[in-house]
Amino acid sequence: MSIIDLENVNFQYKGSRDGSLNNINLHIEKGQTVLLCGASGSGKTSIIRLINGLIPHYYSGELEGDIRVAGHDIKQTELHKLAGTVGTVFQNPRSQFFSVDTDGEIVFGPENIGLEPKEIKARLNDVVAEMDLDEILGRSIFNLSGGQKQRIACASVAALLPDVILLDEPSSNLDFDSIELLRGIIMEWKRQGKTIVISEHRLWYLKDAVDRVIYMENGKMAREWTGDEFNSLGEEEVKTYKLRPVVLEEELIRDILGDSTSYFCDADEAIELKDFFFSYKKHPYLIFKKHFKESDGDLLNLNIESLKIPKGKIIALVGPNGTGKSTFLRCLCGLERDCRGKIAVDGKIYKGRDRLKICYMVMQDVNHQLFTDSVKSEVMLSMKAKDGKRCDEILECLGLLEYKDTHPMALSGGQKQRVAIASAIASDAEIMLFDEPTSGLDYSHMEKVGELLKGLASMGASVIVSTHDPELISECCDYVLGIKHGKAVYLKKNKEL
Amino acid sequence: MENKSKKLKAKDFITIGIFTAILFAVEFALGMLGYIHPFIVASYVIILPLASGIPMMLFYTKVEKFGMITIVSVLLAIIMFVGGMGYLGAPLIIISGLVADFIAKSGNYKSFKKTVLSFGVFNLWICSNYFPILVTAESYRKDLIDGGFSAEYANNLFAAINVKTIGILVVLCFVFGCIGAVIGKAVVKKHFEKAGIV
Amino acid sequence: MRLDPRTKLFMVFVVSLIAMMSATTPVLWVIRIIITLIPIVLLILEKKYSSALRFFLAYGIALVLLLFFISENSEGIIASLLIGYCGIVVQFMPALITAWYVIRTTKIGEFMSCMQKMHIPDGIAVSLAVVMRFFPTIKEEYSSINDAMRMRGVMLGGGNVLRMFEFRMIPLLFSCVNIGEELSAAAITRGLGGETKRSSLIELKLGLADYLLMAFLTAATVIFVMYKYFL
Repeated sequence: MSIIDLENVNFQYKGSRDGSLNNINLHIEKGQTVLLCGASGSGKTSIIRLINGLIPHYYSGELEGDIRVAGHDIKQTELHKLAGTVGTVFQNPRSQFFSVDTDGEIVFGPENIGLEPKEIKARLNDVVAEMDLDEILGRSIFNLSGGQKQRIACASVAALLPDVILLDEPSSNLDFDSIELLRGIIMEWKRQGKTIVISEHRLWYLKDAVDRVIYMENGKMAREWTGDEFNSLGEEEVKTYKLRPVVLEEELIRDILGDSTSYFCDADEAIELKDFFFSYKKHPYLIFKKHFKESDGDLLNLNIESLKIPKGKIIALVGPNGTGKSTFLRCLCGLERDCRGKIAVDGKIYKGRDRLKICYMVMQDVNHQLFTDSVKSEVMLSMKAKDGKRCDEILECLGLLEYKDTHPMALSGGQKQRVAIASAIASDAEIMLFDEPTSGLDYSHMEKVGELLKGLASMGASVIVSTHDPELISECCDYVLGIKHGKAVYLKKNKEL
Repeated sequence: MENKSKKLKAKDFITIGIFTAILFAVEFALGMLGYIHPFIVASYVIILPLASGIPMMLFYTKVEKFGMITIVSVLLAIIMFVGGMGYLGAPLIIISGLVADFIAKSGNYKSFKKTVLSFGVFNLWICSNYFPILVTAESYRKDLIDGGFSAEYANNLFAAINVKTIGILVVLCFVFGCIGAVIGKAVVKKHFEKAGIV
Repeated sequence: MRLDPRTKLFMVFVVSLIAMMSATTPVLWVIRIIITLIPIVLLILEKKYSSALRFFLAYGIALVLLLFFISENSEGIIASLLIGYCGIVVQFMPALITAWYVIRTTKIGEFMSCMQKMHIPDGIAVSLAVVMRFFPTIKEEYSSINDAMRMRGVMLGGGNVLRMFEFRMIPLLFSCVNIGEELSAAAITRGLGGETKRSSLIELKLGLADYLLMAFLTAATVIFVMYKYFL
């Protein structure tokens, strides 16, 4: 018996062609696990929104066809009535919390539908036991890592005991270990007989977990595989569909996890870092420590006395979450003022604020980094000497010239990132830093970022990119630098290049 | 929203909460300037409407239902009270919110003129914070001095804010509210409409 | 010690009330200082030592300066700046500390059920809860934006005050609007806004500590008003 029925569904968002759907006929059996894959904007998320009713009740547009989920006619059912039937885990762990504390968030749903306190308590205990959440109970969500937040989000959905669980690109902001945990949660739901629909770019963690795979293209269901077919998809075939790999190479996984110790820097020219010590922990109470030294030992979040990094190359910065990758980047480019590290390039030494002049960091959330009302002025803003011709060249080179008068915020995620990269190029920085540039991107966008990074390196910039994305590393990185507990533990040449 | 119902829904209440938080954050940042010199307290009538024009004009386009501004004013009144600004101004804050809401509603939350007018009226809530200075002028002055403020500060404060100037302040509040709305509208157009999120 | 949120709200009410009526005589000052010390003590009981100490010192220093070193006749720039600083601190710190204590120790769930018990309409309760939840978000977003501005060297907006303001405001608004959209979608799909009455995991109950504190606060208010207006 099917629990989700989409019949002859057509949909177009108001004022946008992105993500529209074209003649969708999808029937999902109870207890099935279905994966939706395909490029960004191909309609994956729209299907998720059809099933949970956000289309048409929250996102408006033109909708035709019938949608039935577990006996509810979605078009006629108010959203809050679906709460006990359909649960959704969203992409961004940062914004899906209503409460500030973890316990409160898990019971938020059950409280909304007015369950008895006893029942709520029982459900809380069940979910906590199932997902092993004891250690993160009773904490503020503002102090959790992305992975922990996503687990709480899963728990808060599960506490409503929905038959249908939807996940919309749940792994986008997660590191390797957290994705493994997410897989565990999905397997548990599968065991309980939930019907699961996942929209996702990353495929490896869903191998052997899904029953059906639907490939979306331009709003149509273009191709369908069974779970077994999907598990044995060849590397070549995956590439022709512009999908991310289903199987990851062992060595890449080891690199990502930082299970290596070899260190060598064979490059002729190197950037030398000296005395990079930093800690987020302020000394108790009133007196803040501003000057960190190696002797501060365990207090330090970053502890690098001296490090040589190959110049003019692309270096992948890897290691588990919360182990110092972002701190390293922030200290390197001088955003953390209390880190007194020095950078030596070509015999010149940069310290303090000067670091900001030779470094440029493209942040993970590029939305914070775009200020003006057109792509062109955004790039001009970065230029020390305003040069309209050069600006156009840069935009041309990144394929953005046709958008030069568009508002940066009107662009797609991948395009925004290219605008940020364009401003980085315009700033003439010698050292370009990227914080997780590809985590939420589909294969072709990831490939594109890889090419851009190669382009930057060929222009002579040194590129350091922190990433959890094995595919990006094999795509473009020359070296892999492993960070663990704030220390640089290894630097090695990437094998393929 | 597909649903054209006129009643506020959960989503609207969340939006209202978010914009109230932004509005308060802006006021709080600027409000701290006031203690440097009393003339700055009086100049709130110019600074605050101009600064809050941008977020508020965005807010006006986001909910478009009756009650949106009234609730913001209720929340502001609560926050002001909790922040130690007293309760005397509270009814005035809520009244200006309510009137502003009615004006905006009469233009269906779409008319440019009505929105500008509505925001002008809404800004009168700023003056309500001066209210205790007026009604209790003499004892307030004594309180200030006994409470540790210098006579100079108190004298300046009363030079800037008194029964004679309050009329001017109210008018300024309204006028700069309207100017803030016009600027805010322009910025909304420059950024948010161009980006296609309004 | 877990106080009932209603007690906390009552405390906010009393502290704001007393902070609003200026203290003019020694007795009034004493009451005011005691009222300010209560949330500080409560913060210590909640093991929030560092914020308690910081509040205590900031308040204490400002108070000492104000009471003993600044007189009615202080004039001049430095004195007026100092008065400004001490004035803010002494006038608003009590309410700020209390508000801080309440926000830091009250869970959103508790707060919602407290509002329900006090018959505040759900809509207002939701909005108010969002306000409470959103301050840290605004802070987080703002600091990211600030970092980006430093990176791009546009902290001063090219010397243009309006751009300085615009560069901070616009990304902040874009972020907040996005977060708000996602936040409401996530909340509504989990049943917020239904007709069913919300329930609560934590059942609110007034304990001995609540009654004692409320009695004490009431007494303090009564004495304060008596001394100020009738004696």
